[in-house]
Amino acid sequence: MRVSRRKFLKTSAVAAGVPWLGLSPGAAAAADPPKKGGTLRVGFYIEAATMDPHLSGSKIDRQVYHNIYEPLVTLDTKLGIKPGLAESWSQPDPKTLVFKLRRGVKFHDGTDFNAEAAKFNFERMKTEPKSVRKGEVANIDTVEVVDSHTLKVNLKKPDAALLATLTDRAGMMVSPKVVQERGVELGRNAKGAGTGPFEFVEWVRDSHLVIKRHDGYWNKQGGPYLDRVRYRPIPDDVVKLHSLQSGEIDVMDYVQPRDVAAVKADKNVVVVDVPSLADFAYQLNTTRPPFNVKALRQAVAYALDVEQIVKGVWLNVGVAANGPIPPTSWAYDKSIAPIKRDLARAKAKLAEGGQPNGFTFTLTTNNIPINIQEAEVMQAQLAEAGITAKVKLVDSATLISDGNARNFEMVSFQWSGRPDPDGNTYQFLRTTPGTSFNWSGVSNPQMDALLDRTREISNQAERRKLYGELTKLLQDELPMIFIVHPIEPKAFSPKVQGYEPIPDGMMRFKDVWMR
Amino acid sequence: MVHLVLQRLAATVPVLLLVTAGVFALLHLTPGDPIDAMMAESADATAKASLRAELGLDRPLPVQYAAWMGRVLRGDLGRSIRNGEPVVENVGRRIRPSLQLALLAMAISLLIAVPVGIVSAARRNTSVDRVGTTFALFGICMPNFLLALLLIFLFGVTLRWLPISGYVDPAEELVDGLRSLALPAVTLGLALAAVVTRTLRSSMLEALTEDYVRTARAKGLSEWRVVRGHVLRNALIPVVTVLGLQLGTLIGGAVITEYVFALPGVGRLVVDAVFARDYPLVQGVVLLIALGFIASNLLVDLLYGLIDPRIRHR
Repeated sequence: MRVSRRKFLKTSAVAAGVPWLGLSPGAAAAADPPKKGGTLRVGFYIEAATMDPHLSGSKIDRQVYHNIYEPLVTLDTKLGIKPGLAESWSQPDPKTLVFKLRRGVKFHDGTDFNAEAAKFNFERMKTEPKSVRKGEVANIDTVEVVDSHTLKVNLKKPDAALLATLTDRAGMMVSPKVVQERGVELGRNAKGAGTGPFEFVEWVRDSHLVIKRHDGYWNKQGGPYLDRVRYRPIPDDVVKLHSLQSGEIDVMDYVQPRDVAAVKADKNVVVVDVPSLADFAYQLNTTRPPFNVKALRQAVAYALDVEQIVKGVWLNVGVAANGPIPPTSWAYDKSIAPIKRDLARAKAKLAEGGQPNGFTFTLTTNNIPINIQEAEVMQAQLAEAGITAKVKLVDSATLISDGNARNFEMVSFQWSGRPDPDGNTYQFLRTTPGTSFNWSGVSNPQMDALLDRTREISNQAERRKLYGELTKLLQDELPMIFIVHPIEPKAFSPKVQGYEPIPDGMMRFKDVWMR
Repeated sequence: MVHLVLQRLAATVPVLLLVTAGVFALLHLTPGDPIDAMMAESADATAKASLRAELGLDRPLPVQYAAWMGRVLRGDLGRSIRNGEPVVENVGRRIRPSLQLALLAMAISLLIAVPVGIVSAARRNTSVDRVGTTFALFGICMPNFLLALLLIFLFGVTLRWLPISGYVDPAEELVDGLRSLALPAVTLGLALAAVVTRTLRSSMLEALTEDYVRTARAKGLSEWRVVRGHVLRNALIPVVTVLGLQLGTLIGGAVITEYVFALPGVGRLVVDAVFARDYPLVQGVVLLIALGFIASNLLVDLLYGLIDPRIRHR
């Protein structure tokens, strides 16, 4: 497969704009009416960690959650916010959000979903000792029940990104009855806990997790059609692909760039390119030499050929990044190009930074094949400018602890991305005391002001302009060097119909059916 | 024999102390932290700190080790940080597939290695022997993951005789269970067969030069009876040693095979736990694996006595 940057942008635009017709697997048979029944067998790279969305820290959990739980608001294909369990919402002032909740929704255990239940969930996220959601709901001061189906959320300060945060785990509603009666085991057994199109059946650890159609689902439009969905962990990519090709599974969550071309040539497999919200980048430690000198950060950026890395390492399964915001986002400014390679300029910057003959630094990265390849290509590109990169390979736990301790010079940073651009920027770039994802240690008043401002105003066009300014500032300041926004291709058996790719990468099976 | 068992059990105490203290120290000296690994997508320092305190990870290392040891002595291996389940439950679930796989692999290896080893030794330096030794060399050289992928491609993708990955418990569904274990067991069994073939062949060659073999032949015994009655039994000791050591390795160390075939075994459990810095899980599993090694070595020592009365223990 060859996707040029332009074609990718176009694809993203299609994902973002026009309702995606015949969207997907088996587009040729799009005229067939959907039919009920069948078990969809899904292969994942790893097993889920917990079924309790308030305690979940693992990306894979969310794949299951989006079928059994529902958030207050959800995402559409262009990352817009649309009603979920909340029918509508309003913002009487910048520090207040009022949700009108949907009537007639019941949890799978038969209890009612209402404002009391929603309040219970927010309070659990804020106070439960093991809650992993605390940071996401930190800006929520209090939650009030106005009437049975109206919820008022009072914020500590204006937060334009909060709605987008509530499209995922922080907005997912769990049955208060289940939490009170079997809260401890909710992690392993989510029976009755959700309101979604599918209900939890069983999870045999290390083997499989099964959900089944919820016939009493409130939304009578479209699906759910499938009888059951059965998730299985298959850690090895090659084996997972063979399992799909031989019909042991019907869906696989991710196709490695190196396999994409071969899989697309296979008639028994349908590949859907799902543009992601992710950015794969490097953080440069601005608190110590050599990268406390801006000119040397710039020298590295000008010595790198990002387009070449995307082509050679990522095999074009992704698009060169101009900054932290992916092309799928409404905040993406396509008039800003990725930084172009310019060796003469790199050398001039080296001289300006007091290292006319080049310098040596350590590049810390994950010990996985694609990262190693990327590091090797970067090493070669930098060498042409006289810069020597020593590659240090570590496992991901070590990488995170090195990052938190600022014990690195340049470190790879892979972020899965968030629907609101705030989630791809603020926590990495805003001056923060103590430990945060601002590993580079950047503290720039102009950047801080921009980041604060984007949270205070809710007008999308204005925010978009501010994010454009931020991207330009980043290309000059360079606390981070952005490489690629990867595409996350998913592969299906041709039997699978009706899958709608949302750029958050989550597979929602409500309208999926089997031919 | 009771004396030997008791003696061995007493000797396990320092071994286990050393192993657990070593693993504890190594694990905690390795950079990385379970909470960071678990909450990789959260920069919320306060939430992380409160979780750390909740799990007692903020206490000094010697205190943590002593607390862990104290619980172990009371029979409590603690809970996994990642999934919150008791370590014993985690291991209990994973040990079944690992044991089944190890035993099946061992059976396959013996079915191949014993005849090949015997024939190779008895007909040494003939073309039969050369085929046998070439097979053994191939089995030893072939990396597990490559053999696994070739088997998957042939029997899973092309011929579609066997499932590619996943695990069904043979105790629940015999046929499907054996089918799910067939490819991984052959993968491990072939490599083991190669080792056993070589060991058996060389120890038989040694035994074949003994005086009692010449005597047996001089008595006019057929070559087959010489081999079966005099050579094989004496040549088995190194084979039993190899098998005993391999049993432990197969249970705890078949990581790559388990990974490729998506088998939920102990090897993968411990590797995943190390990557997640799931301290209690790693410590618990290593403790149990060490116990397993000690037990299988003891078993080997007892088997020696059965094979060779001269080293029967009193």
